[in-house]
Amino acid sequence: MQLLDIRNLTLELETPDGIVRAVDRVNLSLKEGEVRGLVGESGSGKSLIAKAIMGVLHERWHITADRFSWCGEDLMRLPYRRQREIISRDIAMIYQEPSRSMDPTALIGEQLAESVPDHLVEGISWWQRGYFRRKRAINLLHKVGIRDHQSVLNSYPYQLSEGVCQKISIAMAIAKDPKLLIADEPTTALESTTQAQLFRLLASFNQLKGTSILLISHELETVAKSTDTLSVLYCGQLVEAGDTATLLQNPRHPYTDALIRSVPEFQPDLAFKQQLYALHGSIPTLQHLPIGCRLGPRCPNARKECVKTPQLERHHNHFYSCHFPILRTNDDE
Amino acid sequence: MILRYLARRLFLLGFVFVALTIFVFSLNYLFPGDLVSNLTGLRDISPEQHQELQQTLGLNQSIWQQYIEYNRRLFAGDWGLSFSSQQSVLTEIGKVLPATLELTSYALCLSLLVGIPLGLLAAVKKDSLLDKCISSVALVGYSMPVFWLALICIMLFSLQLGWLPTSGRLGVLFEVPAQTGFIFIDILLAPQIDRSAAAYNALLHLTLPTLILASYPTNVMIRFVRHSMVDVLDQNYIKTARAKGLSRGQVLYRHGLRNALLPVTRQVGLQFSSLITLAMLTEVIFSWPGIGQWLIDSIYQRNYPAIQAGLLVVSSLVICVNMLTEIVHTLFNPLARKL
Amino acid sequence: MKKLRLYYEEYNKKPYQLLWKHFVPQHFALFGLIILSVLLLLAVISPFISPHDPYQQNAELLLLAPSWQGSGLVSYPFGTDDLGRDLMSRLMLGASYSFGLAILAVCGSMLIGLLLGALAGMTRGVQSSIFNHLLDLALTIPSLLLAIVIVAVLGPGLLNTIWAIMLALLPQFIHGVGNAIQEQLKQDYVVAYRLDGANNWQILWSVVLPNLWEPLSLLFTMALSTAILDIAALGFLGLGAQAPTPEWGSMVADALDSIYLAPWTVALPGLLIFITVLSINLVGDGLHKAMKKRRGS
Repeated sequence: MQLLDIRNLTLELETPDGIVRAVDRVNLSLKEGEVRGLVGESGSGKSLIAKAIMGVLHERWHITADRFSWCGEDLMRLPYRRQREIISRDIAMIYQEPSRSMDPTALIGEQLAESVPDHLVEGISWWQRGYFRRKRAINLLHKVGIRDHQSVLNSYPYQLSEGVCQKISIAMAIAKDPKLLIADEPTTALESTTQAQLFRLLASFNQLKGTSILLISHELETVAKSTDTLSVLYCGQLVEAGDTATLLQNPRHPYTDALIRSVPEFQPDLAFKQQLYALHGSIPTLQHLPIGCRLGPRCPNARKECVKTPQLERHHNHFYSCHFPILRTNDDE
Repeated sequence: MILRYLARRLFLLGFVFVALTIFVFSLNYLFPGDLVSNLTGLRDISPEQHQELQQTLGLNQSIWQQYIEYNRRLFAGDWGLSFSSQQSVLTEIGKVLPATLELTSYALCLSLLVGIPLGLLAAVKKDSLLDKCISSVALVGYSMPVFWLALICIMLFSLQLGWLPTSGRLGVLFEVPAQTGFIFIDILLAPQIDRSAAAYNALLHLTLPTLILASYPTNVMIRFVRHSMVDVLDQNYIKTARAKGLSRGQVLYRHGLRNALLPVTRQVGLQFSSLITLAMLTEVIFSWPGIGQWLIDSIYQRNYPAIQAGLLVVSSLVICVNMLTEIVHTLFNPLARKL
Repeated sequence: MKKLRLYYEEYNKKPYQLLWKHFVPQHFALFGLIILSVLLLLAVISPFISPHDPYQQNAELLLLAPSWQGSGLVSYPFGTDDLGRDLMSRLMLGASYSFGLAILAVCGSMLIGLLLGALAGMTRGVQSSIFNHLLDLALTIPSLLLAIVIVAVLGPGLLNTIWAIMLALLPQFIHGVGNAIQEQLKQDYVVAYRLDGANNWQILWSVVLPNLWEPLSLLFTMALSTAILDIAALGFLGLGAQAPTPEWGSMVADALDSIYLAPWTVALPGLLIFITVLSINLVGDGLHKAMKKRRGS
């Protein structure tokens, strides 16, 4: 079943230099039980899209979309309050810097207890509710792999390490049994052992509970291992989307190809002392966005037609938008 | 850990007090006039008395010794006599200090009760008409000179409308002997008077000075609380809490309030010293028999021992209040405890 | 007017221009700035343009009403006080005392505060700790009390009031400058300079001081409003300006006796104090907002 279906999402901001389009007509869709990766360089608008879905974007941003539906219900037509109700009931998000997204003056136990949703405590008499909430918080901590719940519950966020904080924010996120979990660069601030633990945790939630996960990252190698489908963003434009395996084997867009080639792990026959591949140039600033396909100035395949934004083309569940895609000869047309 | 912190604070307190006494002691030398008169408060001293006093005060010894003698006298309760009344300065202060304490504490409570909610309201409804109104009123009140505001209010409320009395603590019709110095307690303890009428009269007398005195701290509190709350509302954890599904009211109450009000506790301590300044001015205008008016009269009369004693008492009061608010701030602020 | 952009170039304004650009749209702040400039002008040139001599007493025209009331004269626009002196000229000359001297006091205090604050901010360890605690002590003594004590030591008079105000404002400046410098020293570019081999003096001069003007200007406006209020308060108590100096606070005190007959003699000087402090606060607020916007954009 289609959980999330977004078509032509555009995010615009008014600056003194004019209106800037940070995200330009991005399509995103998620099925139930799917783990989707959203990959892009920093500045490509991935976090903006996540915040737009959650509805916590700053008021300065103009959000427009052709379609924004959740479980078949079109959210754009509902009043704001109903939108927020639905979203806060079914979607949860974990952030990049977990200790900053927690209240510094509240105990972890308090914060966990308050994220237990109200409908779970409904049948219980009010004096027992606190106890029930606390029990559920301990339960959640065990689920994310924290054995020693006593000391964690009685500490403040600044007293715990980032890895533990991230696990706690995952616990807070799954407290309400969400259908979709958005993970916004969850492992950037952590060491590799904790990263591995975290991905295993997310995978277990996906398999055991059927929670869909939208994993946002800028590292292709970590995302490739844990996701079913992948969307690649460049500079606010959707460049390519499809199954991870197909994408990594046969990338159609030059940018995806460049990304794959720049990751040493994906090059099996890298010679000793060979120069590593990198796409020349750098991501443009918001004030100097190129017209048409934004990869234009950097793209090795670029030609005159690229000043017009390419349409999204589709081939067997593999979407790409490029005027001159890379087509391998052993591909079936 | 808490004990270590308290011990450190007390040590610093002692250090500050020592510095204060050094400063006040040095004033004896800086004030014009005879040193012995300044130290004791006696006025016409015959030459033999002068010699005798020089011995007792230890003036023929080194400065350090004199300072220690001075401290000894302070602890013993001998703070000298006032030039004008030739009474012990300490007893005089004891009579006038409660009046000031009453006035300032009521004004402080009023400013907290009014200022904090208004500041929070202005921050929550930022950039709306309500916010602009509250901020402009706060700005206007913050800029008004206290004595002018007092005079205008007196002209309006007492002279034109006749609602409130112009000066003093209690109408002359009521005979309330001063036992503790705090007017409401004295009214309760006084015999043979109509208690409710006297209390109502005292309240009327208290209204205008308290309102005038509270105007400046209230406005400062509104501005400060608004600034603090706006800062807190911009933080990440507020957005996370919203995303968790809490309603706006719950987020504000649970997370916003506690974080925003923490700097306010420290600010209250800092505000106390300017409150004392304003209290002195208010007391002069309203002829309120407090320590401010007493000090100002002492200045007019060049009553140096009184000035010293007043300075000592007022500064000690401010230092204690500052220390208390800092301790309260550290107790409630988990972030400060990690130091 | 948009410039004709033939080439795609970036036009970046200087920081002061950016600040002005963000300051101007705030109408109240701009209004306050205009009033301040008028007052400053008055403070400087009032002896030359006042209609009458501020000290000349005129026994026939005591307590004349302001010109907008029926019994007033246009030649005395604000009326006269109880000794027959023209109120408008006195108010204008008062600008140079209440406002001009306040600016001088705050500037002097700021310079000394800058020196001592630099010392407080750049040193570390035990001596800095002692210094900071002494500073805390100085901050706790109420400013008026301090001024009163100094006046008691030196005697009343306007000049002594200035010294008193300077000394009373000094702890705030030292504290503010010390805090600002400490914040600067935590920044990474200071670490970079140190790794390059800069010593303390060089860091202070080329890195820390140029970045101080923002917090310093805010401190200046706050101190200026405090100074004006304190000078007026001391004048009101009779400890500051002595008669016949037309300082606004002492004018209010002098006119208290005739408050029933001539309420404008009390209201007008106080109103001027209020307008001055209000415009300073407006400018300070506007400056603060403009600085934040400039940082954010």
